Amino acid sequence: MNAFTIAGTILLAGFLPLGAVAVFSREIDGLAALQLCGALATLVLLCLGEGFHRSAYFDVPVITAAATWIGGMIFVRFFGRYV
Amino acid sequence: MENVVVDALLGIAVAAELVCVLGFVLMRTVYDRLHYVGAATSVAPFLILAALITREGLTSETADAIAAVALLFLVNPTLVHATARAARRLDAGGAETPPDPEE
Repeated sequence: MNAFTIAGTILLAGFLPLGAVAVFSREIDGLAALQLCGALATLVLLCLGEGFHRSAYFDVPVITAAATWIGGMIFVRFFGRYV
Repeated sequence: MENVVVDALLGIAVAAELVCVLGFVLMRTVYDRLHYVGAATSVAPFLILAALITREGLTSETADAIAAVALLFLVNPTLVHATARAARRLDAGGAETPPDPEE
């Protein structure tokens, strides 16, 4: 264990309350929670990549950050029109 | 000394991110919650990036981390803005009935 793996593990705990908001609140609140989860996941993956000292792991947070934006925009497009 | 700086940066970053999550959960409207989504992508990522650069220096790994943090910081505000617009449209009752794929 080092500081980066500890930080990544603590950040993982943030998913629990956000998941609760996504389940129990309005759909649009759940979408905002999903966006925050995406940012959190990016940071967790950065911390774990450094914590495990694997250079290949650093590609994953870049993809996560891009996918969070693309997925969020698609959700927003349909939420704004049809929900 | 380097370890102290890295630990301090990571500690502040984790605290900032958890405060954003806590604020998100405690707020009542989606507009208030979106403030915390924006804050989560603008403070903590740079602190984690600073910790990473302090530990590793400028390497290919930190270049990937810079790309990830830059993506979060630069494109996430557009997502927050679009979400707020969608929420406003929903609150105003502007949503339509989805088209029937059978027709």
